[in-house]
Amino acid sequence: MKKDTWQIGGRELTSRLFLGTGLFPNPYVQQEAIKASGAEVLTFAIRRVNLSAAEDDSILQHIEQGAFTFLPNTSGASTADEAVRIARLARASGLSDWIKVEISANERTLLPDPIETLRATEQLVKEGFTVLPYTTDDPILCKRLEEAGAAAVMPGGAPIGTGLGILNPYHIGLIVEEASVPIIVDAGLGSVADVAQAMELGVSGVLMNTPVAKARDPILMARAMRLGIEAGRLSYLSGRIAKKKYATASSGFDALKLS
Amino acid sequence: MSEHIIIMGGGVIGLSVAFELQSRGYQTTVLEMARCGGQASGAAAGMLAPYSENVEGPDPFFQLCLDSLRLYPDWIGRVRERSDVTFEYSESGSLYLSYHEADRLALEGRLLWQREHGSTGAIIDGPDLFDMEPLLSRQVKAALYTPEESHLYAPDYVRALEDACRSTGGAIHEQLGRVSVLEWRNGIVLEAQDGRRFSGDRLVVCSGAWAQELAETFDLPLPIYPIRGQICAYALDDVAGDVDGKAVRHMLFGNQGYLVAKANGTLVCGASEDVAGFDTSVTERGIERLRGWNKQAIPALENCAPFHQWAGLRPSTQDGYPFLGGLDPAAQVMFAAGHYRNGILLSPITAKLVADRIENKALPSYYSYFAPGRFDMS
Repeated sequence: MKKDTWQIGGRELTSRLFLGTGLFPNPYVQQEAIKASGAEVLTFAIRRVNLSAAEDDSILQHIEQGAFTFLPNTSGASTADEAVRIARLARASGLSDWIKVEISANERTLLPDPIETLRATEQLVKEGFTVLPYTTDDPILCKRLEEAGAAAVMPGGAPIGTGLGILNPYHIGLIVEEASVPIIVDAGLGSVADVAQAMELGVSGVLMNTPVAKARDPILMARAMRLGIEAGRLSYLSGRIAKKKYATASSGFDALKLS
Repeated sequence: MSEHIIIMGGGVIGLSVAFELQSRGYQTTVLEMARCGGQASGAAAGMLAPYSENVEGPDPFFQLCLDSLRLYPDWIGRVRERSDVTFEYSESGSLYLSYHEADRLALEGRLLWQREHGSTGAIIDGPDLFDMEPLLSRQVKAALYTPEESHLYAPDYVRALEDACRSTGGAIHEQLGRVSVLEWRNGIVLEAQDGRRFSGDRLVVCSGAWAQELAETFDLPLPIYPIRGQICAYALDDVAGDVDGKAVRHMLFGNQGYLVAKANGTLVCGASEDVAGFDTSVTERGIERLRGWNKQAIPALENCAPFHQWAGLRPSTQDGYPFLGGLDPAAQVMFAAGHYRNGILLSPITAKLVADRIENKALPSYYSYFAPGRFDMS
């Protein structure tokens, strides 16, 4: 079978898990969980990083330099202009030219502001960034972000850190159907069932932090998520059966005949 | 005759548990493999800062930290009553620094829930901020001020606890080397490396990162990892320049580390964390990291060199929560270990909860989150 890889901004990826680096109980558990997850892309908030010495940053210092693609995010920004300024800072520091646009205007829900997100995406694409906007799960908006030049579009399953899972699987399904760039479910996932569901809906990957970092055993959960994504992806590629109202004998009558 | 309780570990947790139990009329014996306060406890910067150390939300760990902070004034009074060793306890308040306009949203979100939990904090910016803290970098955009937070001088505090234990009749044995548990199902028997045996009615394990060595004895997963924390200290006079009065007035926190000025004229800067097993040596990278960061908080530090640097092992569990509670239904064996960065802060509440459990008193609702058996899912 052909190797099941995918691409963002010209980079070929095998893993379908983007992992956040925050919230881990300690550096040891963080390092081991990253290993166990198999993630190739790691994400973090630019405002939390010491950009003048990223290799000595309190979180990034524990991560092997050069081994991962970094996806810095603009969390904390509440307008497109702010997000653009933060993105430029991150690129100037040499961390990465990938950027996750994350703009929220409400400190309680942290839900993305769709209009500012679209504006920031347009601007950052113009400036040559590889842009991955985090957005609400609106199919039309996701298409508009793609048309604006997003390298991948990342609709949320539920508000950040809630672990509520995919609140509107119908929308995620529609978004995938319409998309011609990778769709990544970002935020709100809680369990392996949620990531398997996302993958069965046909998304290209998932991004998470809290469900791994805040699990009782983050290292074990990182592995569980990796396997859940793989299982969901294989299930999607295999094609599930149609749902039926009544039973169908799995052995069939022919199998019962005596020869 | 009162119950005799054996305590493994003479760090800040073991000594606090011993002092509390002695105060309640129990007979305690502390068994320490090296010397009291020789690891994480003596290396700590002594910050009592539940709000600055828990920025995400009011989880059970924050509740535990907050309850402990609230016990402090009374607890300090009790320790001072029983010990001649003096120690600094300073209700300085803290400033959590932010450098990006984008941090404002995070600070506001934090303030929102922290004000519901006893903080009278506020976001301070502009001239007000630099009036409060004159040496602060003008690159600091805003800070979250939390008046409730305080700090103490950890090495002296640990010595005072040790003294308070002895003066209330507690026994302390140091330099025991490896201590093994020979019996725990019917009475408690422990053996030191030189063959000396200690027996009692109950055991409280307070041996920090070394508690993991008991996993086999109790047939229980006890995932605690030693995380090395490196710290350095400056002479405050070198930093102060011509500032009138106290040069650094609040604890300063940022997402890269902290600075705290002590009454003995030092400015303590921490901490660089890394994973190095039980190695407590200081590394050049660890200290240079601090020096690279701290001038972003106080620019005058650029031209100063630390006169002292050290490292301690902070015991962190798999989920970051300490082990606190009984192993068996009768709590004949109890754990109070794995307090990571917050051992000093958590010492009064840990002592109280261990003693309350032994006396079958009511326990707070969050207590069960810290059960030492929680990693045993089989």
